[in-house]
Amino acid sequence: MTLVWLLACLAAAPVLVVPLSSALGRRTGWVLAAYFVALAAAMIPNARTVLDGGAVEQTYSWVPALDLVYALRLDGLGLIFVMIALLIGAAVFAYSAEYLAPDRHLGFFLWMTVFALGMVGLVMADDLILVFLCWEITSLASFLLIARAGSGGEAAAGRTLLITFIGGLSLLVAVVVMIAATGTTRLSEALASPVWHDHGALTTTVAVLVAIAGFTKAAQFPFHPWLPDAMAASTPVSAYLHAAAVVKAGIYLMLRFSEAFSSVPAWNALLIVVGLFTSAMAALFALNQTDLKRLMAYSTVSQLGLITAAIGVGTPKALTAAMIHTIAHALFKSGLFMMVGVIDHQAGTRDLRRLPALRHVMPWSFATVAAGTAAMAGIPPLLGFISKEAILGSMLEAPGPAWTGQAAFAFAGAGAVLTFAYCAKILFHAFVDGEREIEAGACEASPALLAPAMLTIWAGLPLALAVGVLAGPVDQAVRAMSGKESYELALWHGVKPELIVTGLVILVGAWLVTQRARLRPRLEGDLLPFSGVGLIDRGLHRVERIGAAGTHVVGHDHPSRHVVPPMTVLTLLLGVGTIAIFAGGDVPGTVPDLWRPIDAGLLVLITLAVLGVVVSDSRLAATVFLGGVGIAVTVQLFALGAPDVGLTQLMVEVLTVIFIMLVLRGLPKRFGHLKHSRRRGPMVLAVALGLAAGGATWLLTGRRDPSAPAEYFITEGAEETGGDNLVNVILVEFRALDTLGELTVLGFAAIAIIAILATVPKRSVSEEEQHDLRPLDGTDALDDPQAAAALRDAAPNLEPMRLLLRLMVPGLVVLSAMIFWRGHNAPGGGFIAALIAAVAVSLIYLARPDDRAVGTPRLHLALIAGGVGTALATGLLGYAASAFLEPLSTYVVGIYVGTSLLFDVGVYLAVLGLVMVAFDRLGAEPVEERTDDEPALRSQP
Amino acid sequence: MTFLPLTVAVLVAGGAYLLCQAGMVRIVFGITLLSHAANLVLLASGVSAWRTEPLNTPGATGVADPLPMAFVLTAIVITLAVTVLMLALSLIGGDDNTYLVPETGQEHR
Repeated sequence: MTLVWLLACLAAAPVLVVPLSSALGRRTGWVLAAYFVALAAAMIPNARTVLDGGAVEQTYSWVPALDLVYALRLDGLGLIFVMIALLIGAAVFAYSAEYLAPDRHLGFFLWMTVFALGMVGLVMADDLILVFLCWEITSLASFLLIARAGSGGEAAAGRTLLITFIGGLSLLVAVVVMIAATGTTRLSEALASPVWHDHGALTTTVAVLVAIAGFTKAAQFPFHPWLPDAMAASTPVSAYLHAAAVVKAGIYLMLRFSEAFSSVPAWNALLIVVGLFTSAMAALFALNQTDLKRLMAYSTVSQLGLITAAIGVGTPKALTAAMIHTIAHALFKSGLFMMVGVIDHQAGTRDLRRLPALRHVMPWSFATVAAGTAAMAGIPPLLGFISKEAILGSMLEAPGPAWTGQAAFAFAGAGAVLTFAYCAKILFHAFVDGEREIEAGACEASPALLAPAMLTIWAGLPLALAVGVLAGPVDQAVRAMSGKESYELALWHGVKPELIVTGLVILVGAWLVTQRARLRPRLEGDLLPFSGVGLIDRGLHRVERIGAAGTHVVGHDHPSRHVVPPMTVLTLLLGVGTIAIFAGGDVPGTVPDLWRPIDAGLLVLITLAVLGVVVSDSRLAATVFLGGVGIAVTVQLFALGAPDVGLTQLMVEVLTVIFIMLVLRGLPKRFGHLKHSRRRGPMVLAVALGLAAGGATWLLTGRRDPSAPAEYFITEGAEETGGDNLVNVILVEFRALDTLGELTVLGFAAIAIIAILATVPKRSVSEEEQHDLRPLDGTDALDDPQAAAALRDAAPNLEPMRLLLRLMVPGLVVLSAMIFWRGHNAPGGGFIAALIAAVAVSLIYLARPDDRAVGTPRLHLALIAGGVGTALATGLLGYAASAFLEPLSTYVVGIYVGTSLLFDVGVYLAVLGLVMVAFDRLGAEPVEERTDDEPALRSQP
Repeated sequence: MTFLPLTVAVLVAGGAYLLCQAGMVRIVFGITLLSHAANLVLLASGVSAWRTEPLNTPGATGVADPLPMAFVLTAIVITLAVTVLMLALSLIGGDDNTYLVPETGQEHR
């Protein structure tokens, strides 16, 4: 199976689990386990190539313009991690099928499989951008898996995400710097680049950034608190992510980059010091825990510290040790996590203080945990012994003066004693020392639950006895990292310093075990007055407070606060820019005949109308002036030779005025002098912005020859599309994607209106405003009996209108259809036709004596969804030819038929939908009850 | 000599002034004026000297640039959507005064 196929199969898994989990529930785990084993088996041919010293490579172009490729590469290092991810994944899925409560668990299976995809993608990626993307996928999937664990999980997931995103940012910077420095996005080429030898400071910077990224994922000090915190997640998640995968992603990153950085002193020092310190610190914390799962988490942090330190040493022997310990740890730790789940499942608790002496009822579990902890403590003849010894031995090779190696060796040895101690604590406290009565229900777990854990833990025994099996892959991995042969792996190396230390550790450890009753109470108190989680939370609170203070400056709901700054900036930009360009000279002359006499007349009209809008205090008057501006602008549009635009503007103008009138019914008659409205500032700003905008328009337009696109559209557009109306063919063919975006905006505006008015009640009119609301109810109206009668009963008043409707509506419908049809060749098209239909709707609405809605909510949504859907479907049709929205057309019996016409139908429906929503939502519900007429009105005849 | 920039200046000034007001309806009016101005600027970018309608008339000279027109047509309809949305906003709460925020169940400052 090729690498791309592996990724495709893994990408299919999250899709498959949706139907699978609804059919099989938790048993989906069995299917996924089989699937992952099958995928691992399918990788055997590739594995052969790798073991023969080759590397499997595959590249696919992704974004050619950015030189991005899906570059995949499988070498020895990648192979080991792929196998860990697939096989441990299979074991954990099998375990989850038995461990989880009978339920669907879609989220669990979904994000676990997404995680596996990200993890395998990460270790096979040979493109730096892809490495980063996969890295982030693992972060996000891990966040979601922890967050699924209910209320306790959410805060923990947030903290985990925060820490891993620090690492993600660090990696992003490192990746960008690497690409810039080496000029390639290929990981393998970038790592082999000579740049790293020539530029010390750059190399150190990138090495430190990569180390930080690795530390965050591999839970190294000071980024370690997330891992114990993440224990809120369910046990299968911890067994996979927190033993074998997420944390190993950090290890993988450091291993992968050690090719370039293993001789950088800062890299060596940072990894060795942080790794060894983390290892000892976490071992101490592990001894301190009473929750078995948190103990495991700290022990993971500790073990990863050892691996990190070995990577820091960077010699072939150390890298061999890191590699083999990664394998050993993945096996025994995932198994131990699953065993914690087994204990929790059978005994009902995982608190060491409350567990009875379980060895009496759970002998198999006892033996398995014993083997797992023995491997972790480094007792022969298990794989953990080989790897632990190799790591101890490699510490002596630490770069620098001889004493650094000896110090690292001594420190690691001391850490090993602590490791031994907490391993003993797990075993003895869970299975031997418990004083409580064993509850009646407690019994050995079912074989199906035990099997996956036993399999991974006991695998350490045959693998240790026949460690040569691993020698091949590990050798290829070490070659990939250092270009040198690996250190020989064996159970017996002869009497060496590391063997003596191991012996001493076992002796001291055994003595400690005999003293455990005395030591235990001293260890389980609080070691430190603060915790990492507490520190993170306090830091977050501080950041939130700063954020709140910052928000206070700009966080206001009234728009003027938000529009004034950008308008000021715009004024400066346009004003200063215009003056600068003009003063710079070299401005081309204007094209002759830029203006017609009608422009001047319209300028006068527009100026007067704008003044009217601005100064009038009556809302009604301002609306009339606004309509005046609109009509004048419409004439200007026609005068500029834009009939389509003019027609559209005319329709929109009519509708806008009607909408404003609908809204004005519910508002005070006058704008009034609202508080906060200051006049001088806005006036100065407005005049300045107006001058700047006018100046810029004068300077920047009308000074060039026809543009190339204009020439193209005018000369070729009609022939290309079969339509004479160039504006329409641009809308529905050349720039159909723009139009599609616009339709979506229309649809969403309509849905937003529905949502706003559904959630926030419309204003309720207060008593003192009643009078102000009904201008015609005043004494003026009462003087005229006809007006009073008209107010009291609207129906007769509307007779002429309804008579007119019978003629107008069919006429408008026919007109709308005609305008729609001819749009391709003459002024018209979907927009204008829909707006004409909308005018028909407005007539129907206006002719009603009451405020009944014209359409139903279902019709509104059908129009909007139908419009956007039709346009989208038309776009997809384009794939039949070549690309999204590619127009297809033909002539049927001499009549033009094309997909662009269908697209225009989408335009039509969406526009009509928006307009109907506006009518029915803004106008349909009576703003106030109008039947309780005032007594004065009734007294009139 | 040309008048379009002056028209733009007048519309922008009026729109900017209204945008700074407190009442939502006035703000809507401001948006309307500003969008008229923006549309005229767009059309002016197609050079207002050529005003023949772009309808593929054979032998026509001085044909206007259809591309800005397509942009403007789109812009007009979007303005309609924005206007209606903002009008809906002015209907909620006790008034269209944007300094007084209606009760929405969320915290406001």
